[in-house]
Amino acid sequence: MKKLLAAALVVAENSFRESVRNKFFTLFAVFAFTAIYASVLAGVMAVDQEARVLGDFGLALMELTALAYALFNASSVLLKEAETKTIYLVFSRPVPRWAYLSGKLAGALLTTAFMLAVMGFMHLALLKLRGFGIPQGYAWALTGSFMKLAVITSFAFFVALFSTSAVSTLVISGVLWTAGHFIAETRFLAEKGSGLGAVALKAAIWLIPNFQLFNARDAAGAACSLPPVAFLSAVVWVAAAYFAALGLLERKEF
Amino acid sequence: MLRILLCAAALAAWAAGTEVLYGSYRSSFPPPSEIRVPAQGAAGDMFALAFGARRLFADVWFIRLMQYFGTPELDKVKEAAAHEESPEPGHHHHHHSIEGGKYAEFQARALHVLEIDPGFTMAALYGAGSLAFNLGKPREAQAVLEYALKYSPKNWKYLNMLAALGYYKNAEAPQAVADALAPILKDPDCPVMLKQQAAFLNKKIGNYSAAAAIYADIAATSRDIAYVRNAELQLARLTEKAGQ
Repeated sequence: MKKLLAAALVVAENSFRESVRNKFFTLFAVFAFTAIYASVLAGVMAVDQEARVLGDFGLALMELTALAYALFNASSVLLKEAETKTIYLVFSRPVPRWAYLSGKLAGALLTTAFMLAVMGFMHLALLKLRGFGIPQGYAWALTGSFMKLAVITSFAFFVALFSTSAVSTLVISGVLWTAGHFIAETRFLAEKGSGLGAVALKAAIWLIPNFQLFNARDAAGAACSLPPVAFLSAVVWVAAAYFAALGLLERKEF
Repeated sequence: MLRILLCAAALAAWAAGTEVLYGSYRSSFPPPSEIRVPAQGAAGDMFALAFGARRLFADVWFIRLMQYFGTPELDKVKEAAAHEESPEPGHHHHHHSIEGGKYAEFQARALHVLEIDPGFTMAALYGAGSLAFNLGKPREAQAVLEYALKYSPKNWKYLNMLAALGYYKNAEAPQAVADALAPILKDPDCPVMLKQQAAFLNKKIGNYSAAAAIYADIAATSRDIAYVRNAELQLARLTEKAGQ
């Protein structure tokens, strides 16, 4: 068992290194820095609310940048390994599929966490430069963003195993991301509605993860902290997507 | 067999995730039926909801509100040109021809900021303060505060502001209004416009030391140059008065 876990760790480490060396990663880092700097302009327009605007803009932008990279990475990594035949080399060794998939997923999540940490550092440095402290609930906001990204990344891994192209994975995951933020509104409509429409909406609520639960950056003050149920939900959703992806990977012949 | 087990485990886990939070999660935001979108704002609101960026888009709406209030109304520009400049224009330096200005959309725009992010205390105070003290629409101001209170019923700043509005509306008693505003002034959520209003009221009732303290606070903490310059000017005048 120890050997298998070590194999998963090696896959995770390689996946992480590959991402960090990837030119896209550098591009996203530059983009994030430039865009965060651009937020200074928006901050100036807000005059006495500059700190709030800078904080909100930076956090939203970090999440979107990390989301773009995470989805791009998750949708293309397995396809690329199959196309370049790297996956054959891995499976020719005593590496079980669950260890390979968990390694890849762990590597992707580590990359996301690393990206958020780097961008968070840049963002805080920018705030400090403008004379502001750390916004209230900043760590919670980043944690919430990471949890959302973890769920969507694992879901994208699952979709990537049955979709025909990376683009379709990106689209499907993007739709889930959007729908996941609309859960509160969907629930409201389901409670108000009746008939087939309401049933469909209720079914959607059960199928779509509620990303608003992790959205600490939209909450204010004490409400910023994430409840334990959020952590639990994130873990089970990631696990569910992982098991579903593993089910598909087991069916594939390499 | 393994595949069936994996699929069952995936489904069970996914359902457990939903089940765990279904009963415990209640959105703290207004339902979509409460969102009334002023012109050309629907796309922005869709993004706010779709990307979970309510705070960010509330910020954008707040900036738009300030820009709207800072843009002179055409008929009032002509009117203002014919009038003498007041010593402390509209108690809000960079907003042109505020006295008597209509700004018909102001309340709707102020409410919209709160519909997107009801936790934006500063926007509620700014909206209500501007409506009551600058535009002379205390009833509209009260409606803004009542909406804000619906989502933050324990917010003492709103309650104090409502009290100030009550005094302002009924008795026009500047002392009572200034007293009601006093606790809010020390709060980080207090808009500089409200501080200036409080300083002006204190000056009006002859409480020069309190007025000077508020102007000093504006000069030290605000990033709005117009307010800072006015505060420095008022401070110089008050010092001059004290020396006489």
